[in-house]
Amino acid sequence: MKTTLVLDPSSALTIVVALLGLSILTVSLLYYALKSKRIRVTNVYLSGEPESVVSSITPSVTSMYWGFMKRFARSLYRVLVEEVHTGSLHDWYKFLSSWLALLVLLAVIVLIASIIAGW
Amino acid sequence: MYLDVYVNALFSILVFPGTIFLIALAFFTQYLVRKLSARYQRRMGPSYVGPIGLLQPFYDFLKLLRAKEEVVNRFSMPRLAEFALLIGVSCIVSSVIFLPISLLNVATVFDVLIFFYLSSVMPLFAMVIASLSMPSPYTSIGVSRLLSLVTIAEPAYFVSILVPVYLATRSGGVFMSISSTYVNSSRLYSNPVALVITALSLVGFAVSIQVKAMYPPFNIPEAEQEIIAGYETEFSGPLLALARLLHDLDIVIALLAGVYILLGGPMPFNHLSPQGVVVLALKYLILLLLVTTLKNIMGRYRIDQALVQVFKYGLIPPIIAATLTLVAP
Repeated sequence: MKTTLVLDPSSALTIVVALLGLSILTVSLLYYALKSKRIRVTNVYLSGEPESVVSSITPSVTSMYWGFMKRFARSLYRVLVEEVHTGSLHDWYKFLSSWLALLVLLAVIVLIASIIAGW
Repeated sequence: MYLDVYVNALFSILVFPGTIFLIALAFFTQYLVRKLSARYQRRMGPSYVGPIGLLQPFYDFLKLLRAKEEVVNRFSMPRLAEFALLIGVSCIVSSVIFLPISLLNVATVFDVLIFFYLSSVMPLFAMVIASLSMPSPYTSIGVSRLLSLVTIAEPAYFVSILVPVYLATRSGGVFMSISSTYVNSSRLYSNPVALVITALSLVGFAVSIQVKAMYPPFNIPEAEQEIIAGYETEFSGPLLALARLLHDLDIVIALLAGVYILLGGPMPFNHLSPQGVVVLALKYLILLLLVTTLKNIMGRYRIDQALVQVFKYGLIPPIIAATLTLVAP
């Protein structure tokens, strides 16, 4: 017969974690009892090329960051290159100070609001 | 009383709607996707194993698990990949106790958040960790594409299930609970504004589930042939079986969530009536048909196009729905 338990969040979470443990145990037992034990060691699959064609097996974090910025965040990349990293300290300061001013303004607003609200 | 709860809990996790039922449903769902796709492409699809080819996905799984060898290279960490995938599968299995279909149905305030975490976030991380445990340049590209897409698709999925849950539970029942959403699902269709909100959530849900399933037009993380098999290039034998099972279970649990949260489950009937079972199955099949049709009528987007389209059609409609929910009486 169906049972519905209306619980407080911590009790619900305890039950879920217990059932998750049971589920991990069951699924793992089934998997390791049934899986094939044969293993074959080969080279990394590189469409027939040797491993020497890549300098490292995974791209570096820096390359992934710049790859993402250049390909998927073009406008942000343009701002970074044309307005911030121009080589002139003045440009960098101009860009940064605008954001700093905004942060200072926000801080002042929050401060005034907190004084008025009596926090 | 306590014995009933323990028995129901064990039965729910091990048999119905837990491990055995969910895995069987995952195989059946894979069969339907393959058969329908084949019919769209004027092919026969699975036909020979079992009646009308029904057992083909099960035999494919068994072949990979039992007969095929595990191919590894000197950079691979297959035990870590197995561990991550097993955790992912278990998270999906244990999340079913929040769905009203479960014999032991747990309800609490904001249980939709625990459900989302177990059924959507954890399986995704499990897949990413498993892929990165079997590294290759193709895997890295696949994973980076997958992560780029889900940064938009997961919020879209989240908002599209959160909005109907809020709409159904804000004026009574257990707040933000899936069970209460199902019980009060008539509130989702009670007036024209609610209907618009539900429809917008459904649009976001349909797009985000297409991304979660990595079906065309959002199959860029595996991008067959372009980057070999993307995130699953280095999976083989039992590991590939497990990865495919996790992928299918991910689709099944998302469809079940859609059926219960957005479409009201077996409503207007109840679970134990024959009509209720038929209505529940029909709603599941309608959502699956929608996903499979989109898969077959669209070509693959490039990653930058995919990001824009998911944002436009996946994220914006549920955000409008959320705004409407907050301003509507």
